[in-house]
Amino acid sequence: MRGRLLNFRRISVYVALLPMAITACAVYLGTTLWSLRVSFSSSRTFPTDNFVGFAQYARLFTDDRWLLSLTNLAIYGTLVIVVCLALGFWLAALIDAQARGEGVLRSVFLYPYAMSFVATGVVWQWLLNPSLGIQEAAHRLGFEQVQFDWIVDPDKVIYAVAIAAIWQSCGLVTVIMLAGLRGIDPEIWKAARVDGIPAWRVYVSIVRPMLAHSFATATILLLTAVVKLYDVVVAMTQGGPGTASEVPAKYIMDHLFGRANIALASAGSIVLLLTVGILLAPALYLRRYATRLAAR
Amino acid sequence: MSSRRAARIGLTVFLASVAFCFLLPLYVMLVTSFKSLDEIRLGNIFALPDTLSLDAWRAAWSTVCTGVSCEGIRGGFVNSVQIAIPSTALAIAFGALNGYALVFWRARGANVLFALLMIGAFVPLQVMIYPLVRATAMLHIFGTLPGIVLVHVIFSMPLMTLLFRNYYTALPVEIFNAARVDGAGFLRTFAHVVLPLSPPIIVVAAIMQVTGVWNDYLLGLVFAGRDHLPMTVQLNNLVNTTTGTRQYNVDMAATLLTALVPLVLYFASGRWFVRGIATGALKG
Amino acid sequence: MATENPNAIVERRLGNLSNPMRAARITFFVLALLASVGTQAAPPRAEVMHWWTAGGESAAVRALADAYRAAGGVWVDTAVAGSEQARAVAVSRIVGGQPPTAALFNTSKQFLDLIDGELLGTVDAVAARDGWDRTLPEPILATIRVRGHYYAAPVSIHMPTWIWYSKAAFRKAGVTSEPATIPELFAAFDRLKAAGLIPLAHGGQPWQENILFRAMLANVGGRDLYLKVLRDRDPRAIQSEAFKNVLLTFKRLKAYVDVGAPGRNWNDATALLITGKAGVQIMGDWVKAEFAVARQLPERDYGCIAGLSPQAPYIVQGDAFVFPKSSNRDVVAAQQLLAHVVTSPAAQVAFSKQKGSIPIGKGFDSATLDACTRKGLALMADPTRVVGNDENYLIPDQNGALSDILTTYWNRTLAVEAVQKLIAVALTR
Repeated sequence: MRGRLLNFRRISVYVALLPMAITACAVYLGTTLWSLRVSFSSSRTFPTDNFVGFAQYARLFTDDRWLLSLTNLAIYGTLVIVVCLALGFWLAALIDAQARGEGVLRSVFLYPYAMSFVATGVVWQWLLNPSLGIQEAAHRLGFEQVQFDWIVDPDKVIYAVAIAAIWQSCGLVTVIMLAGLRGIDPEIWKAARVDGIPAWRVYVSIVRPMLAHSFATATILLLTAVVKLYDVVVAMTQGGPGTASEVPAKYIMDHLFGRANIALASAGSIVLLLTVGILLAPALYLRRYATRLAAR
Repeated sequence: MSSRRAARIGLTVFLASVAFCFLLPLYVMLVTSFKSLDEIRLGNIFALPDTLSLDAWRAAWSTVCTGVSCEGIRGGFVNSVQIAIPSTALAIAFGALNGYALVFWRARGANVLFALLMIGAFVPLQVMIYPLVRATAMLHIFGTLPGIVLVHVIFSMPLMTLLFRNYYTALPVEIFNAARVDGAGFLRTFAHVVLPLSPPIIVVAAIMQVTGVWNDYLLGLVFAGRDHLPMTVQLNNLVNTTTGTRQYNVDMAATLLTALVPLVLYFASGRWFVRGIATGALKG
Repeated sequence: MATENPNAIVERRLGNLSNPMRAARITFFVLALLASVGTQAAPPRAEVMHWWTAGGESAAVRALADAYRAAGGVWVDTAVAGSEQARAVAVSRIVGGQPPTAALFNTSKQFLDLIDGELLGTVDAVAARDGWDRTLPEPILATIRVRGHYYAAPVSIHMPTWIWYSKAAFRKAGVTSEPATIPELFAAFDRLKAAGLIPLAHGGQPWQENILFRAMLANVGGRDLYLKVLRDRDPRAIQSEAFKNVLLTFKRLKAYVDVGAPGRNWNDATALLITGKAGVQIMGDWVKAEFAVARQLPERDYGCIAGLSPQAPYIVQGDAFVFPKSSNRDVVAAQQLLAHVVTSPAAQVAFSKQKGSIPIGKGFDSATLDACTRKGLALMADPTRVVGNDENYLIPDQNGALSDILTTYWNRTLAVEAVQKLIAVALTR
C-alpha cells in the first residue's frame, strides 16, 4: 500500500517538473546550441549554413570594442554587486529596526526599479553632464572646485553607468533582504539583548549567516542583471564617449539587429556565457566543498 | 545612553542622505514634466517650473501623437494589464511549484534541469528572439496574447524558480516532514503547508515579475501582435524618436504615468512583509 | 417530434425542382448573388510599419495616411520608435508569418538579405507606370532596383550634412558673411570662440560623428574621393594623402566642440543654436522641424549651407517602403496602391513640408516649400553633384565598423595613419 502511494507521489513530482524540463531543455539548451551553430557560420540577417569555423571568434578577439566591453563588465559588475549587496543589507536592517515609515522608505528605495530606463537614462545624463547637472549646480552655489564630469571622460564613464545601475537595482536587493529578515525568529533579538550582545554583532555574526539564502538570491539576481545590462548604457551614453562605455549585451544587440551580423552576435553571446560559467564554477565548487566539509 | 542616541541620529542622517540621493532623479523628472519646452531648452534642470502646467501630463495620457494616431499612451494600458496579470500569476505558480519540488522532493535529475535553467538566465534575450519567433509561429501563437504570456513565463522561470527555491531552503523541514507523516500528498502539502508560509517571497516575486512584464518593451513588440501592444511601446515611441522633435516634459510625464502601476503595487505590498511567519507556524 | 422526410423539406422550401425552368432560375439567382458579393471587394487595407513616431515626423506620416485614404485605401498604422528596432520587428514579423503590408527601411543595402531570401514582393508595374527611372535620383534607384526589379517605394530624401548657423550668434561674433569655403568656416569658428560662444554644436553620439566625417569627406575630399572611399572601397584611396587630410580636418573640428557634448542628443545641440549659445551645427535637414517648434524661420533666424565649394557633392539619404511577399491578391493590390500614392507629387509635397525632407520625383509645385528645401531641390537637379549616403554603398556591418573607428578617433588620440589602416581593413573585409 505504502509503495503505491510513494509511486503516485513520485509521478506527481515529475509531472510538476515537466514545464521546467521543457523550458530548460527545449528553450534554453536548444537556443544555446542553435546560437553555437550560428556562431560558426557567416550568417548576416538570417541563419545560413555557410560554415567558417572560428572566424567570428577570431574577429571578436581582435575587436577593441568587444575586449573593452568585457573589461567594462568586470569593472561595473563588481561595483554594482558589491555596493548593492552591502547597501541593500544595511538599508534593510535599518528599515527592519525602526518601526516608523517603513512603507515610505521601502518605496523611496524601490521606485527606481519601477521606472522604465528610457526616460530616467536621459535624466541621469542631464544630472551627470558637467554643463547641466550636479557639477554646474555646485559651481553656481560657489563650489568651483567640484568636478563631476565622469560621463564625458572616456576613462571614467563606466563608473557613471555603475552609479545609475546601483540606483536602479539597490531597492530590489533591499526588499529581498527585508523578506529574509522577516523570517528570522524575534526571540533571537530578545535573547541577544538579555545576553548583552551589541546590536551590530548580532547582525554580523548571527543574522547575516541566517540570510545566506537571501544573499545568494540577490547575488545571482544582480549577476544576471549586470551581464544583461543594456538599457542603462543605451539611454545614458549610447556606449560613448566613442565606445568607452561599451558593454557585451550592447555589442551583441548592435550586431544582431543594426549591423545584420547574427553570426558575430551569437559568437559574442557564447563567449559571454562561457565567461560567466568560468566565473561561477569555482564559486559553486567552493560552496559544495564547504557544505561537504561541514557535513563531515 | 547618549552614545546610543548619537548612533541613532547618525543612522537617521545616513538614511536621509541615501534617500535624498535616490530621490534626486525623481525630483528632476517631476519638475521637468511641469515645465514648458522653452523653459527646458534653457537647461536649468534643478530649477522649479515657472508655472505648474499640467499640459504635458494631459498630452502624455491622451493627445500626444505616436505615429499616425494621436491618443497618447492610454491606448496600451488595457493591453499591458491583459499581459501582466496572466504572466505574473502563471510565472509565480510555476516558480513556487518548481522551488517546492526541487527543495522538498529532490527528484532525480532535477538539479541538472535547474542548472540548465540558470545558465539560460544569463543569455541576453535578444539572442533567443529568432528561434522563439520560429517556434511560436509553428505553434500558431505568434502575435497573440497566449504567445506573449508564454514567452514571459519562459523568460521569468529561471529567476522565479531561484527565488522560491532559495526561500524554501531556509524553511524548517520539520513542518514538511510532519505533513508527510500525516499522509498528505504532493499538492496537498504544497497548498496547506508550504504556500501559507510563502507570502513574503510571493510579494517579492510579484514585484519582480509585474515590474519586468510591465516595463518590458522588446518582447511585447515582437510577440504580442499589433492588437495587444503594451503601453511601453507607446512610451518608447515618444521618448526614443530618431529624427523627430523631443518633448521632454511629455516624456517625463509619460514615464511617470507608466510607472504608476508598479509603484502602487510596491506601496500596497507592505501588508505582507509580516514578521515571523515561519516561526509562528512552528509554535502554533 | 417525427423527423420530416428530407425530400419533403426540399420540396417545401424550394418547390418542385423537377421543373427545369425553375431550377435554372434558382441557379441563376444564386450565381448572381455570389457574383455581386465578389465584386463588392473590401477597400485595400495596408498595415504600414515605420519609425516616425513623434512631432513633425508623425504629422508627415499622417499626410501620407490621408493621401492613401483619399485614394480609397485603409491605413493601419504600426509605429515603432528607433529605426533599428523598427526594422528588427519588421524582420521578426516576416519570419513569424505575420508580415505588415509595408515596412520602412532606408534606401540602402539593409533589405538585400530579405530580397535574397525571397521574402519581398516587387512593384515593377507601379515603377513602369509612374516612370521612376526618369524621375528618381540615381543613388536612390541603385538601392531600390535590384537585378532589374523594383523592391521598394522611396518616400523621403534627406541630406544629412547641411551646415546650419544661428544668425544671432553670427551677429554677436561679428561674422558678416556666410562661409563659402573650408578656411572661411574655420575662421567663423575662431570668431565664435573669441566671442565666448560654442563654435560647433555637436552631440557626441557615433552617428553624429559619422555625419561630421561625411561632411568633411564631401567638402574637403570632393566627389571623386567620396565615391572611391565609400562606394568603391579602394584601399589606395583610403591610404592616400587626400583622405589623410580629410581625417585631420575632421579631427580639427573637435577643438571647437564644447565639453558637455558626449552623449548629447541632436535636438539639444539644435537647442544651443536656437538659444543663441552656439553658432554652427552640421546635421541633416530634419532640424528644420526643431527650429519651427521654437518659432524660428529660415533666412530670418537661421541659415543653411549645402556645401562649401561650388562642386561640393550633395549627399542623398532616403527612406523607402518595402513590401513583404504575399500570395493574397488583396494584399498585393493594397501594396501597389501604396507604392503609387506615396510617390505621387501631391502626397510628397504634403509629407515633405512636415518632415523637412525633399519631395521625390518631379512635377510638383515647389512654391510652398521653404528656402532651404528649395536650395536642396536646385542642387539635386544636377546629377553630377548627387551622391549616395554611406549606407547606399556599404552593408550595415561595414558601415558600423567604420562608425566605430571614427568615433574612437574622435574621442581618443590616435595616429591618423593608424586610422587609415583600420578603415581600410574594416571596409575591405
